[in-house]
Amino acid sequence: MSETYVRRGREQTTAGGFIVVAISALAAVLVIAGLIYAAGTSERHKQVLAAAGCEPNLSPSGLPCTTVQMLTSRYIKISAPVTEQLNTDMAAYTANEWHRLGAAKAALTAEVTIENSFETSLARFPFPPAVAPLAKALIQADQASAKLTAEQARSSSLTQLRSFNGRAKAASAAVRTDMKLMRKALETRPTASQEP
Amino acid sequence: MATTRDYEPDLYPGDASNTWNVEEELTAGRELQRRAAKSGVDEWMEVEFKFGGSRVKRKAVALILLGAPAALPLFFMLPALLTMNENTFSGSVDDTLGTGAEMCLFLCLLITPLVMITGQRWFVPLRRWYGIMMACCAIGDALAAGLTDTFAGGFLGRVAGHSFELVGFIMVMLVIPLLLTGNHWAQRKLGRYWKPLQRLTYVIWGLLAVHLMLLEGFKFQHGGNGSGFAGDGDPVFHQRFYQYSVCSLFLLTLRLPPVKRWIAARQSEGRNWLVYLTIMPIFALFVFGFTFIVSEEIFKGVDSFTEHPSNE
Repeated sequence: MSETYVRRGREQTTAGGFIVVAISALAAVLVIAGLIYAAGTSERHKQVLAAAGCEPNLSPSGLPCTTVQMLTSRYIKISAPVTEQLNTDMAAYTANEWHRLGAAKAALTAEVTIENSFETSLARFPFPPAVAPLAKALIQADQASAKLTAEQARSSSLTQLRSFNGRAKAASAAVRTDMKLMRKALETRPTASQEP
Repeated sequence: MATTRDYEPDLYPGDASNTWNVEEELTAGRELQRRAAKSGVDEWMEVEFKFGGSRVKRKAVALILLGAPAALPLFFMLPALLTMNENTFSGSVDDTLGTGAEMCLFLCLLITPLVMITGQRWFVPLRRWYGIMMACCAIGDALAAGLTDTFAGGFLGRVAGHSFELVGFIMVMLVIPLLLTGNHWAQRKLGRYWKPLQRLTYVIWGLLAVHLMLLEGFKFQHGGNGSGFAGDGDPVFHQRFYQYSVCSLFLLTLRLPPVKRWIAARQSEGRNWLVYLTIMPIFALFVFGFTFIVSEEIFKGVDSFTEHPSNE
């Protein structure tokens, strides 16, 4: 094995060393630059959303873009059918509360079903942090109303059934008031102090 | 693509063991050392354990776990395929299957450098699997684009009517012979022509750069214009050509003959730690870029799976 041959071999490995070290240094710089750039992600995310008319503080679930209108319309989509159905069920109950126990109980049972499904929808709804306390109050009011209506539906006589009317009306009114308050709160653009 | 069940180093393009022939004595010493180094993990992987009523090799479990994610892009498109949802196909098939094909290509190309660095060979069968998945994703992408895209010009116009599509179409045409010959039978029949044919993988790798350059350009998004749109405020990380470049840097560097010689020399000296230390930043950059490719795949894939294709 000649000396030249060995020297050439060494030179070849040295060249490889230079290449890999140079690329490695470049890669290290890029990784560090990437990490620094990544540190500003949150701020850039808010700017991008704001530029597109989205509300960064209305996107608690990681939705790419949520506007006040989008959130309100989504809320109306779940609350409007509930209000409509509850009105129908209450009308059916009122029509039967003096004469037909079976029909009145069926109307109340339907009311319980719709109240429970509304509670499930509310629990899944991406409420922004600013309205979270109101959302909690609405869910609690709905739960209380559903519980009372279920109890009323178990009545064995028309007199017993009607004895719940006062409390049931108050519970239902509380739910409707909270629903209105929630809609108003969602329609109001959050202030900077309400940032998450 | 170029993988067989029983791995033979000289059958694969760019394999580490092809390139070191400076000194025979050194080569023999290095080979011995490499075999000794690989035997630890490779032998551990060969050990069988009891699972249910049968005996399963650890390697089999590891290969299944590492190979399964490559099938995800096709899995994501399954609901749209079963329901023939044209909206999902036209909206996100190119992202789901195109990104999936890119992901599988990088995984396929990652095997050789990993064999060279670690000296382990138990994961070599994954190269074939990733290659097959890459081909399936690429062909699926082209078919779906041809059938559901909104571009004019019929099927051919939709798959090759624009410059970036034409490059993509050529890539798909090249992937077909690779898919057809990626098996033992074809390897035996083609003999010495098999290896050069499998090197088409490198042509596809290069064409992917052209495809992404034409698709995304070199710039990233500013305001409402440019590539790499992302609601998360990270347009640089979502720029596909950047992702490709940082991933390719690692894969290409470790294929350069002088670098391979340098690595082999350090390994023969018993200084593999120096190799690990030196390539760590390049590998970190690869992981950085690859993470965003995977993130893109999952984001778009889940949208496709739920049949609510993303507009991003």
